[in-house]
Amino acid sequence: MISFNHDTANNQLTIRFNGRLDTLSCPDIQSAINDKFSKIRKEGKQDGPKVVFNMQEVTFISSSFIRICLTTFHGCGKGNFAILNCDPFLKKTFKIAGLDDLLTVS
Amino acid sequence: MTEQLYGKADELLEKAVFAAAEFQQLDQQQTDRIVENIFRAGFNNRVRLAKMAQEETGIGIWQHKVIKNSVATLLVYENIKNEKTVGVISDDELTGIMEIAQPLGPIFAVTPVTNPTSTVMFKILICMKTRNPILISSHRGAAKSCTETARICYEAALEAGAPEDCIQMIPAGSREFTQMVMAHPKIALILATGGTGLVKAAYSSGNPAIGVGPGNVPVFIDVSADIPFAVSNIILSKSFDNGTICASEQSVVVEQGIASQVRDEFIRQQCYFLSPEEIRLVGKFAIMVDTGTMNPFIVGQSAQVIAEKCGFSVPAGTKILLAELDGVGKEFPLSSEVLAPVLAFYPAKDYNEAIKLCIDLNYLGGIGHSAGIYANDEKRIVEFSTLMNAGRIVVNTPTSQGAVGGIFNRLPPSLTLGCGTGGKNITTENITARHLINIQRVCRRQPNEKFLSIDHTKFLDESLDAGFFLMEYHKNH
Repeated sequence: MISFNHDTANNQLTIRFNGRLDTLSCPDIQSAINDKFSKIRKEGKQDGPKVVFNMQEVTFISSSFIRICLTTFHGCGKGNFAILNCDPFLKKTFKIAGLDDLLTVS
Repeated sequence: MTEQLYGKADELLEKAVFAAAEFQQLDQQQTDRIVENIFRAGFNNRVRLAKMAQEETGIGIWQHKVIKNSVATLLVYENIKNEKTVGVISDDELTGIMEIAQPLGPIFAVTPVTNPTSTVMFKILICMKTRNPILISSHRGAAKSCTETARICYEAALEAGAPEDCIQMIPAGSREFTQMVMAHPKIALILATGGTGLVKAAYSSGNPAIGVGPGNVPVFIDVSADIPFAVSNIILSKSFDNGTICASEQSVVVEQGIASQVRDEFIRQQCYFLSPEEIRLVGKFAIMVDTGTMNPFIVGQSAQVIAEKCGFSVPAGTKILLAELDGVGKEFPLSSEVLAPVLAFYPAKDYNEAIKLCIDLNYLGGIGHSAGIYANDEKRIVEFSTLMNAGRIVVNTPTSQGAVGGIFNRLPPSLTLGCGTGGKNITTENITARHLINIQRVCRRQPNEKFLSIDHTKFLDESLDAGFFLMEYHKNH
């Protein structure tokens, strides 16, 4: 459901999701992301990483996942967070959620 | 304070928009499962919610509210369950036009004190069927029962896989906050059922609205009618939930020739004709002199309670109070809408006078709503219908149950009845799920050969008139 790849050289954390990111799975996703952030903060002397959500294998997102996107965006700041590889249906979902202007979604 | 309210409104709408984003990913089957679960939960709680609504509001009769809850769930569900509301809903090879249904987005629903739990369930069902999140603002007098209704529906929706926050209640009590949410840019549509002021506020908000206001329903009993049948149906309708349905009869109009027969029949069926002094007392109580509006304390009270409040008594078991009036308008308060078992009664000189009275009554605050006729003369039914400005002309049927639809006719069952432009509404239809979707039309190329075959340079020639082009257009090649 979720895998991490931290490119320490560029301080970029890519999080790859797959399947249905529904209301039931989102609490686990959120805590996995939080754990990863804590670990990076503990390990590194760097600023917080740039974050990329790779959505290539995602088929459905719930409103809880949209909230995770928003929380992550607020944590990273503008320019440090992107949502990539959405299929057209997911792209539209972010549009309807009104996040398309705020977040980088492609 | 205002900033705090804005913040609260933004928070509610953000949740609703996120729910909308999730909702639009659901397919027809998933959507239908949610609707069925809500129907079952709402229907299974119909008695408890009806009792709760009656206790909280002090309006109407709980047993009748059970029927309203049943209409709002069972009949509405049966009406919409097979309707296509997701994705491709039609594809006409002949015209080359395919229709695709899209949800609207967050819907702001206002519900009245007269039909509280039933309207909440009805609006939730049609919103969920169309994948639109709903924010409900109930009348403050019915906030507890409406909140409980919404809670039951929401839990059932979640259980069937609906998005979080797809059903939200707006905290009751602040008019400023309600108007703020109503005008919020993230609201897709307002679905307002209530008084004139509320409907006006909805249409003035800047957001699209389906606002449905008051009625003042005249009923004409023609000489061709079955009088005992007509009277018993009118009583069934006007005493239903103590007259709280806006489509209930407000005036009965008859020709002089059958007036005494109709009068006797009402008396035989346990109705009470008020004396002139009692008419004055009830009129004073029913319609507030300073504003000319209906007194909320008369709404949904029984005939006996109304009589007591006016300082006189009526026989036990009296179903309806009838007031024989000479005219229509401000000087005759009971010619206006009264959502209680009080009926105006008009014997008219002849058929034409009777119809003219019906027109006056129809235009006294109830334009576009509903009208009723009891007749077995088809010509008169059509003539009456043509002359009324009403979205529904209910024939040989109690108007409360008839206009709501689904019980005595094939109108779509609805607790929100459009009143057309006369009532400052956008439609005369019974509002249902199909009003809550955006329909996209995919138009495949199907050239109009008749138009394309005209030499288009000829359009530039001012000497050629419409007759020439009609000939060209219809010419056989």
